[in-house]
Amino acid sequence: MAKTVDIPVERESALREPPASYFVPATDIYETPDELVLAAEMPGVKADGMDVTVEDSVLVLRGRPRAEPETRGGVLLKEFASGEYYRAFQLPADFDTARIQATLKQGVLTLRLPKSERMKPKRIEVKVE
Amino acid sequence: MGIRSWVPAAGPFAELQRQMNRVFDSVFGRELGPLGPMRAGYVYPPTNVWETGDVYVVECEVPGLEMEDLEVYVTGDQLTVSGRRPETVPEAGVTLHRRERDSGRFSRALTLPGPVNGGATEATLSDGRLTVRVPKTEESKPKRVTIQAAS
Repeated sequence: MAKTVDIPVERESALREPPASYFVPATDIYETPDELVLAAEMPGVKADGMDVTVEDSVLVLRGRPRAEPETRGGVLLKEFASGEYYRAFQLPADFDTARIQATLKQGVLTLRLPKSERMKPKRIEVKVE
Repeated sequence: MGIRSWVPAAGPFAELQRQMNRVFDSVFGRELGPLGPMRAGYVYPPTNVWETGDVYVVECEVPGLEMEDLEVYVTGDQLTVSGRRPETVPEAGVTLHRRERDSGRFSRALTLPGPVNGGATEATLSDGRLTVRVPKTEESKPKRVTIQAAS
């Protein structure tokens, strides 16, 4: 099994703007009672090519695959190109972005944002009068 | 003489004709890429193939898959990559906001252009990319022909 690598989440906006051309990573977003989870596919990108930034509730993902060696020979089939991935998400304002965690495994970047206590569903007890 | 359909560039039926041709392509016909069948619109896994003098290299994008999710076979000159993309979202107890990743079984066969040494094939998986190196047999390798002056 590949190991899961932690990705540091930056607060600076230097990489917030999209590059001139880029691929959009396929992303699942779902919510559990405790957290919001995003999973983005960026095959070919290693930890040192991944950048995750959160600023003003905007989450920006950027992934740069390693440069391919040019010793390729004759191309017989080309269905995917290698290039930079970029995607930005507007997060709901209530999430505590300070506690966001990012991990990378087999080309999939997973982000977890814990919900604050206030956001978690609370069961309302119904009392009978 | 084969059947050719004419797609008008303009006119009231132009777009309908184009759409009908697309339906026929994907249901009745299969586009043949240089190495094998492709379904119009969606092929998994996305694959690149190139060759050197000694080897065919097949690279597939399979993000999120581990070795146990994949099977690679070489039969004759045909390479098959199959497996299962695991469920990406938990089944119960979640609210789904966006689902763009696919899951489920897949199988893709590629016919390589020349005879290969299947037993010596090597496959590696890293960062969601599968790389398969299939060595050519001696007869597949390019051989330099010496040019002699005609006497």
